[in-house]
Parts: sequence; C-alpha cells; structure tokens
Amino acid sequence: MIGTLAFMGVLGAAIFQIAALFGKSGKPDAVSPWLLAASALLFIGITIERSIQIGFIALTSTYESLMFYSAFIMAVVIWYRLQKKQVYSRFVAFGATMGAVVLAAIASSPLLPKEALPPIPALRSGWLIAHVALSFVGEAFFIVSFVASIAFLATKDEVKRLGYDKLAYTAIAVGYPIFTSGALIFGAIWAEQAWGTWWGWDPKETWALVTWLVYTLYLHVRLILKKKDATPSWIAVIGFLCTVFTFFGVNYLLPGLHSYG
Amino acid sequence: MREFWKKLKSVKLAIGLIACIAVGSLLATLVPQGKAAEEYFRIFPKILAELIVQTGLSRYFSSILFLIPVFLFFINLGACTIDRLLRELRKKGKRRHGPDMLHIGLLILIVGGLVSFSGREEGTVRLKAGDAVELPGGETLKLVRFTDERYDNGRPKAWTSVVTIDKEGKAVKPETEIRVNKPLRIGSLTLYQASYASEMELVFAGPSGSETHLAKGDTFKDGQLSAFFMTVEGENTALLMIKGSSHDGLLRVGAEGAKVGGFDVSLGKVLSTGLQAVRDPGYPFVLFALILVGMGTALTFYQKLKDMES
Repeated sequence: MIGTLAFMGVLGAAIFQIAALFGKSGKPDAVSPWLLAASALLFIGITIERSIQIGFIALTSTYESLMFYSAFIMAVVIWYRLQKKQVYSRFVAFGATMGAVVLAAIASSPLLPKEALPPIPALRSGWLIAHVALSFVGEAFFIVSFVASIAFLATKDEVKRLGYDKLAYTAIAVGYPIFTSGALIFGAIWAEQAWGTWWGWDPKETWALVTWLVYTLYLHVRLILKKKDATPSWIAVIGFLCTVFTFFGVNYLLPGLHSYG
Repeated sequence: MREFWKKLKSVKLAIGLIACIAVGSLLATLVPQGKAAEEYFRIFPKILAELIVQTGLSRYFSSILFLIPVFLFFINLGACTIDRLLRELRKKGKRRHGPDMLHIGLLILIVGGLVSFSGREEGTVRLKAGDAVELPGGETLKLVRFTDERYDNGRPKAWTSVVTIDKEGKAVKPETEIRVNKPLRIGSLTLYQASYASEMELVFAGPSGSETHLAKGDTFKDGQLSAFFMTVEGENTALLMIKGSSHDGLLRVGAEGAKVGGFDVSLGKVLSTGLQAVRDPGYPFVLFALILVGMGTALTFYQKLKDMES
C-alpha cells in the first residue's frame, strides 16, 4: 500500500515535469521535488520498517534493492534541482525521474515477491550493505549521465551540447568513485570474507567489471577527444545499459553466485 | 626508442586494451565457463562449439585471449604511470597524485591477482564435534561444536563452527567461532565456514538414563547384545543387525523408535561441518591494491570536481 503510494508520488512528479517540459514559461515546476522527496521518504520508511522486521538492513532482495535504487535516483534528481553549479535541464530531470518511475513500477508490481525474509548466512554481512548500497548510489548518478548523454546526442546546438557534456561528466565523476568502491572494492572484500576468493568471474561480477571498464573508457576517451565529440556520450549510454543488464539481465538470464541478488 | 616509449604509454593504446578486455569479458559471460568439451558440443552448433573449445573461450579468464590483453594493459599502465608520476613530481605546485595512486593500485592488483592465481592453495575438511585435524603449520584444530541456527520460518540463520587451535600442547586460539562471513585467520592460513552435512545416528538410551550415540557402520554392545548400524533407508529409517537378544536379525528403526533388549532406540541427527582452508600469498597485495584503488579514485575525482568549481 505504502509502496503503491510512493509509486503514485514519483509518477505524479514525472507528470508535473512533462507539463513543465512543454510549458511556455521555461521554468522548472515547483511541485515535483516535493513529490519526489515524499516518495523517496516513503521508500526509505518501508526499508526501515522491513529492517526492523527482519533484524537486518533490508537490502537483500530484488524488491528492497529496487526501492533503494529508486529512492536514491529521486534524491539525486532533487540534488540536481537544488544545486547551482550545473545548468538545470528539465529534460535530464524528467529522464532521471522516469528511471525512478520504472524501478518503482517494477517494485510495486504484484509479480515481484515482497515477503520480508531475514537474510541467509551468506548475506549477513556489513560488507554486503556497503557493496549493494554504494553500487546503487553510483548507478543513480550514472542514470543522470545517461539522460544527459541522450540529450547531447539529440541536439545539434553546440552550447547545449557543452552543457550536457559537462553534466554527464560531472555525474560520472561523482558516480564512478562511489561505484568503484561499492561494486568492485567492497564486493571483492565481501567475496573474500564469505567465499574465500576475491573474485570468482561470476556473471554478475564480470558484468560489474565490464560496466566499470566502460566508464573507465569514457573517462579516458574524454581526455583525448574534444568536448563536442559524440563518442563519450555513446560510451556513457552503453555504460548505463551495462548497469541495467548487470542488475536485471544477469539476475534472470545468467545465474551464478549472485542468484539471490 | 622514444617513439616506442611514446606508443607504449599512449592513452589510445590504453583505450584499445580496455575496450578489448571489456568486450572479451562480456562475451565470456555468454559462454558457460569451465565445462567439459562435450558439454559445448551439446549446447552449441558444432562449428561454434569447436571455436569455443579451440580458442579457449570455455576457460576465458585463464586463457591467452584474456591474459595477453591484460599483460599488454599492465605494460601500458606501467609506462603511463611512470611517465605521469615523473611529470607530476616535476611540477612546482598543484600536484595531482590521485590518478597515480589509482594506477599503482591497479598494477599491484594485477600482480596480486597473478600471485594469488599461481600460488593459492586450498583444501576442505569435514569434522564432527570432537574431531581434530592437523593444520599445515603444525597446529591442531579441534571442532568443539557446530550449530545450525534457523529462523522461526525454517530459513537458515547462521552456521557456526566453534573450534580450538593448539600447538605443542599450548592454546593458540581458545574457543573461537568460524561463521559464514567471519573466517578465522591463523598466520597465512584462513579458515572458512564452507558447508555442513547432517547424518542420521541411532541413540541407545539405557534404563539408567545413559545414552550411546551410534553412527552408520558402528556397533553397539552390551553383554550378549550386539547391534550393528548397517545402513540408512530413505530419510527416516535405519537398518540394524541385532544379535544376542529376542529380536535377532534385521530391525528397521523408524521415527517412532524401537525397543532392543532393555534399551530404547531412537533416531537422531549428527551435524558435521565443512571447513575450507585457504592459503593465498596474494592476499596482502590485493588488500593493499584495493585500498590504493579506492583512495586514488576518490582523490582523483575530488580534485577534479574542485578544479571544475574553481
């Protein structure tokens, strides 16, 4: 029920953003940040309630991960709205919000098991929380870079392109170290503690590495190419698609050690 | 020579190698790894299976398809790091050592991975409460008890082995827990809670309240009475060969138990733990490398964002 309410909130925010996108004033809407904040708080509230229920931080099932990921994307969109250093793009805010809508919709879907189950021994680790939480925080910034890169590729306006490029780069510059520490460093430390090996070349691990390599590629390509070049934008788009496949595709198509994730 | 060095440390080469490693790794996830050759011929069309087996894609991460690009990347990264580090050190002010730290961390990580890959030793041991095993360092590990904790709904909560470690009669470790996610480190050896097993046992309870626990293959004796625990049938039946009592012959003991001589015989379960012992000479390298990579990445982008702001 509360989850559905949170979904309605983020959907409402997206509707207000669409209205602002096609509005004549050119100003961002005033309502969506509040709706996003309310939805994110509702998801966090559910997470806290489930954590108390299972006696562990509720970040061990797909449902819980989706709520956390969606809530953090909303937090990033709100932060993007409040900051003054980057040019605010209503399209980027809307695109990122749509990411949160999709995740919240999947989380609210009746097809997804929502039973609050206490974690099995392999998941009872503080490293797991750092690993999963920081991976999603990093990916929440990557969704901004994805939408900014799409916007870059969709426009021919050089000034706008520079703005989108800077935004995509900033989002990756913030998300990359967080994703590196969460997905790779804490993931490896947790694997060593739980399985006795830092790295097992499990499909999920390999796809996380591929994602990291793609963003590493972005940062290095951007070093040698001009900011007007479209290649970094394409790489940022591929990078985000990799994060999507790492989360959904690997879970359902390539089973391995992370099959419970 | 100067031209060769220039090419070796070039970002373009790094980009090509990163792309090559990424694409190769991605393809490797689409092919099941480490299967027998016949398995690939069963899954894929003949030509594709032949290609997978011959090129080493079936064991991609230990094949030259992966190791050669990684080796070249190591050389390229090493050259880049030396070049960049020297340039930064020559600067008078505003040095940026984040990328150097990150790159050195990655180099150590590759070395650590190689050391781990070539020198790692591991083995498993199965112990019941009271069993002991000698470790490679001469210590004796004894299992005090193993517990299988469950939540109210039956889901596993924790598997815990309580062990002691002695060496030459002296306690190296008093009663210490080994759990999933909480390994025990003794010098260069690490012990992990890897598995457990539950086996049926027979409990002979005497009139005085004494209890004797019998594992499969053991014989219980009391005066003329002899009961040999032959085997297990299904999940809830034990087969006993009785001699020296009024029930001589085969006896099936089920969940309801049985009476043999003056003893009440019931089914029980005994748990054994599976401990995995790992000696990984790459451990300190990898740990140090991960710390460097983490710190280097954070420092790089902190400085970058500060520079963008200013």
